[in-house]
Amino acid sequence: MRNEYIPFLSEIKEVIRHTPIEYTFRMAYKGTVKPGQFFEVSIPKYGEAPISVSGIGDGYVDLTIRRVGKVTNEIFENYAGGSLFLRGPYGNGFDLSNYRGREIVIMAGGTGLSPVKGIVDYFADHPQEHSGMTLIAGFKTPNDILFLKEFAKWKRAMDVILTVDCAEGDTACQIGLVTEYIPELKVKDIRNAVAVVVGPPMMMRFSVQGLLERGFAEKNIWISQERKMCCGLGKCGHCKIGDRYVCLDGPVFNYTEGKNLID
Amino acid sequence: MGFQLNEQGFDALLSELSREYVIYAPKCFAGGNTFTDVDCIRYGTVKCVRDIVFDRKSDYSFKEAFLPVSETLFYFTEGETREADAPRKKGAVIFLRSCDLHAVKRLDEMYLNNGPEDFYYRRLRENTKFILMGCSQSFENCFCVDMDSSRSDNYSLSVDRKGDYYYVDCRDESLHALLKNNAAGELAVEPEYVRENKVHVHIPDNLSIQAAKSTIWDEYDSRCIACGRCNFVCPTCTCFTMQDLFYSENGKAGERRRVHASCMVDGFTDVAGGGSCRRKNGERMRFKVLHKVYDFKQRNGYHMCVGCGRCDDVCPEYISFSNCVNRLGDAMEEVEKHEK
Amino acid sequence: MDINTKKLKKNAFRVTKERGLTASRIRVPGGHLDAKYLLVLQEIAEMYGNGTLHITSRQGFEIPGIPFEKMPEVNEKLQPIIEGLQINQDVPGQGYTSSGTRNITACVGSRVCPYGCYDTTAFARRIEKAVFPNDLHFKIALTGCPNDCAKVRMHDFGIMGMTLPQFEPDRCVSCGACVRTCAKKSVEALKAVNYRPVRNEEKCIGCGECVISCPTRAWTRSRKKYYRLTLLGRTGKKNPRLGEDFIKWADEDSIVKIILNTYEYVEKYIDRNAPGGKEHIGYIVDRTGFEEFKRWALKDVQLPAIAEVYTPLYWKGVKY
Repeated sequence: MRNEYIPFLSEIKEVIRHTPIEYTFRMAYKGTVKPGQFFEVSIPKYGEAPISVSGIGDGYVDLTIRRVGKVTNEIFENYAGGSLFLRGPYGNGFDLSNYRGREIVIMAGGTGLSPVKGIVDYFADHPQEHSGMTLIAGFKTPNDILFLKEFAKWKRAMDVILTVDCAEGDTACQIGLVTEYIPELKVKDIRNAVAVVVGPPMMMRFSVQGLLERGFAEKNIWISQERKMCCGLGKCGHCKIGDRYVCLDGPVFNYTEGKNLID
Repeated sequence: MGFQLNEQGFDALLSELSREYVIYAPKCFAGGNTFTDVDCIRYGTVKCVRDIVFDRKSDYSFKEAFLPVSETLFYFTEGETREADAPRKKGAVIFLRSCDLHAVKRLDEMYLNNGPEDFYYRRLRENTKFILMGCSQSFENCFCVDMDSSRSDNYSLSVDRKGDYYYVDCRDESLHALLKNNAAGELAVEPEYVRENKVHVHIPDNLSIQAAKSTIWDEYDSRCIACGRCNFVCPTCTCFTMQDLFYSENGKAGERRRVHASCMVDGFTDVAGGGSCRRKNGERMRFKVLHKVYDFKQRNGYHMCVGCGRCDDVCPEYISFSNCVNRLGDAMEEVEKHEK
Repeated sequence: MDINTKKLKKNAFRVTKERGLTASRIRVPGGHLDAKYLLVLQEIAEMYGNGTLHITSRQGFEIPGIPFEKMPEVNEKLQPIIEGLQINQDVPGQGYTSSGTRNITACVGSRVCPYGCYDTTAFARRIEKAVFPNDLHFKIALTGCPNDCAKVRMHDFGIMGMTLPQFEPDRCVSCGACVRTCAKKSVEALKAVNYRPVRNEEKCIGCGECVISCPTRAWTRSRKKYYRLTLLGRTGKKNPRLGEDFIKWADEDSIVKIILNTYEYVEKYIDRNAPGGKEHIGYIVDRTGFEEFKRWALKDVQLPAIAEVYTPLYWKGVKY
């Protein structure tokens, strides 16, 4: 009998620091992973936490981890040659076939950029597979921006709006909430355009509302839910919303389903 | 096949069974409840039939025998993990009521079918025999009849105590000989079951998730204290929380355990970034109630609640789950009126 | 009219401000009694008194307006109450044998109250049995828990219920209720270490709030009941003061023994010339020194191993 709770050891290949509290760990992993899926990561001195896959490559996955409190500092500072225990990947992830050949809008708030980064990367590398793409990424302040180096690459392949809620002094990005950019989205065939929205609950709610008002169809919008999860296996119950388990049935939900999920 | 056993015979049966099984039954923990000199009836291992409490409902359910309140899953060091040994090596014999036996099905659903099979649950669930304790009458707050859980036939043995004798129905071929050897007589036995409860529940046919929008939940914001007792006593609540204990300074050696969790208690939905859902106690009540009598059924085809009424028995604020269920009709009427 | 006031006072009657009239004082150890005795009291009040009844500050009853000459009849009428409450008595039918040692008061305790750590009335009755009748002026009170609703610190002997919380780690789900409750309602004796509460034994006052707040029976009460014994609090004119902690985690037997020992000590050291032969124990202890008192009080007392004796004791209070 397989014990799904026992994690495997994965080597930390590289660590990329985005902000003083957010780092991407490039972890050795061989196997099929989809953007939007997550791993249960054992963080020394903290415990297990579900972390979305923020990048997928040959023999590795990227896991972007936010430093929580003082206790987890150590792994962020003493990572060289280290390893972490992982379980996963779990969850359904994004199905790229839903977006291929269509006009795509990606809206990400804060760490919500991690789960959609795989989609953005894919279409940045395969621009011929979309027929128009916009990324709207919002962060609290310029200091919170994740994957800053990637934005230059993405800008070459799609429209990118990088915005912050507020900023002091000069900043290269725009100021304002992601929802403010919905009215000026350049979309040719709005009924067939697709959108992916991931971020804090309020951001998702108002973004989806904005997209629907612009004429996006419910069935063409996907969201991803962040919930507490202790197992990733449909057992612990923390991630249940209505009759759905975010770890098994999500975290990615088509909005036609997602709209009926009441916490 | 039915048997009549006297106390000696039953004790001999238990003693034989205990060679291969740990025997769990509701026991009296003298003075072991919240208030002074109040006994607690909960599960423990028993050696003789006198240890088993027949005339009262257990305050806490049998589930602790499968799902220990706290269970170490494995130990870890820098590069290795070691699975924790099972809390018991033997199989288990569990004395329980009909409602509880129905609850086993719900636990199995969650731990064996909802997603991949749970190793630890399976390990304790394997080689378990159930002994149904007949209910000659309904206890306070029970509503098993309306939840369709007052009768069971998927037991190894049933037992009813009448006077000095124990009447046993045996449905487990492998135990026939054992019964025969210890019985005072053979006769047809049908376990006692409850035909009528004082408490009735009605789950409206038109119940939908829209009930979440009703105002019936609001009063629980102030009435409920979010202590979680209703969950901890429930035979069908299955949630747990993972805890890592670190033996070393660097946090790389330690153990991971899981402990029972309650969706009523603070912190159940807290995510690392500081977010949480259902901050109000009324929202938690709604989440729990609808899980028990609505969304579990959406997913699995039958209700989660088995009507044991322990949640009502234990609530320090006298909040009645069954009464809340009976208000769902009003809730639907309210939201539907609003929709129109 | 020729009445021996010393004798009538000892017989639990009173000299009242109204000449010729007395009041009968009924003791109710532990303050709990069968309701049927109220009918007896009603009959006495209406037949011999002025039809009223006073509920005393020491949980007894006082029936005023009784003519002195009716005292023997009242004593006869009181007999069922005296017997029913199992009050020690020298001569049946002649009322209370003495009045110096006052009624032993108690809060309602664990018979009713969720916080009560023991049956206060039962323990009060046990003490009553051991100490009454006695002419010495002793005030003893019992309260179920450290909330001290019975205000036992205003008494010579204050007995406060305690439970020694028992923790079963494997039943703990880390809900935090005990730690929060202890901090908010009690003395902050619990803190969470590795997800589970750790009890500061020194700080813990045995109130049982952790047990009450625990949803899983990880915390339970000790089978054995424990008590805090406070000493020599008093009201009065010269120096009213609160009783000080003498023993924490004491047991019933020791408390009874200490009280009986104190009677011997007072017999030895009381000022025989004190007005009415009546002297608060505290003033005697002030005279002999606490160490001498302690030597008498703890004679042949076998305290449980866990018990902590505080010594020396100093009292504060208002001095006039």
